[in-house]
Amino acid sequence: MTLSVAQSVPVALEELDLASVHRPADEVRTLSLEDREQKSDWYLKINPNGRLPALIDHSKGDFAIWESSAILLYIAQHFDTERKISYDPVSEPKLYSEQLQWLFFVDGGIAPIVHFMRFAPEEVPYAIKRYRDESIRLISVFEERLKGREWLVGPHFSLADIKSALRAAKLLNVDFNDYPNIKKWLEKVFARPKTDKGLNVPSLWDVEAYVHTAINVSKRPLEVSRAIAAASFGFKKVE
Amino acid sequence: MSSPRVTLYANVSPAAQCVTVALEELDIPYEIKTLSLIDKEQKSDWYLKINPNGRLPTLIDHSKEDFAVWESSAILLYIAQHFDTEHKISYDPVSEPKLYSEQLQWIFFAHGGIAPMYDESTRLFSVLEGRLKDREWLVGPHYSLADIKAFLWIHGAKIIGLNLVDYPNLQKWLGRIVSRPKTDKAMGIPERMDVETFVKKPIEETRAIGAALFGFKKVE
Repeated sequence: MTLSVAQSVPVALEELDLASVHRPADEVRTLSLEDREQKSDWYLKINPNGRLPALIDHSKGDFAIWESSAILLYIAQHFDTERKISYDPVSEPKLYSEQLQWLFFVDGGIAPIVHFMRFAPEEVPYAIKRYRDESIRLISVFEERLKGREWLVGPHFSLADIKSALRAAKLLNVDFNDYPNIKKWLEKVFARPKTDKGLNVPSLWDVEAYVHTAINVSKRPLEVSRAIAAASFGFKKVE
Repeated sequence: MSSPRVTLYANVSPAAQCVTVALEELDIPYEIKTLSLIDKEQKSDWYLKINPNGRLPTLIDHSKEDFAVWESSAILLYIAQHFDTEHKISYDPVSEPKLYSEQLQWIFFAHGGIAPMYDESTRLFSVLEGRLKDREWLVGPHYSLADIKAFLWIHGAKIIGLNLVDYPNLQKWLGRIVSRPKTDKAMGIPERMDVETFVKKPIEETRAIGAALFGFKKVE
């Protein structure tokens, strides 16, 4: 199981039964992070930011989309016609806006926190403490939001839940027993059979060395963590 | 001056500024309300009801039962969807789906990529520099939300000392943007930010701004 936010894309594809049409084994292309393949010219043409994931839509002249949230919204717009995992901008504009708000919240608010807590090249006790405090605060935002709610936005599972659950589940040093609403919600999200299937689609990372799980991460050799950080965020390793 | 369709809670920051730029570019009547960051007004109960994250900016749409929108990028997209019917500063998801998607991609890039990670900024500026080679605008044939979102971080970096001499495309693009009269006007609302202004602020206020923007407390 891969708990990376990049995995939100295979989850969405599975939830919409798209993966069975497109044969995931062929379509999920892993890149070698060690060889910095994501910085190669051919990939930079697809994604000038040189990061994963990127989606190529063969039905639209090989149109390339990068940024996981933009991919989710693209998938929803073009393939989720029944609005099973998303909200419609025209018929449900407020819910659509709320969905966007939570997607941006996850991207801007939590992502850098996760990085500093887990992958910063140097250990800076002050920074670690501050980011731990910030992650607790952010988790509290979710806990409060989920009070009396089954899902983050509107009456059903949506892109906001996919993205946020993957982000939230990755946070270290958070005892989810202290946050009953989040705990219940995470269990519901990960119990969905298609979501579970999407989480187990071959990882976008080189599988053997870099499989992410919340449990294994602390046991991973530091050099491997740093290599992932360098690939994820463009940092150079501190020697 | 017609009555405001929207109220914007904002203090001076790149996140808030992109919204005022969009509102000005579209001639939308709005009211701006600043909060006292020193008194942590953004963490008060009444404000947390409309923005559970306790940050700025937040937009209230009076034409839609005071619907609240938070996260600056979500606000930009909301403004574009409901007020930019002629698509002057945005792209249409139905009639221009690829440009709409590209606009989203660059907004997310600017949202998560440039803002919170200072160390990364050099590489990220290079990505923009590359994108702007042979292009006037980040996405499509005209000024859009993607440019609005991204330029303020470059502009802000200039204020704290970034030298754009290595980024000629960025310089030209930035020049194009700040010479637009409505964008220039918006950059004075609520307050024009430049080095002199920032440096003259009392230290408690700059710290409060830093804390509100990024959640940082300054190291003593």
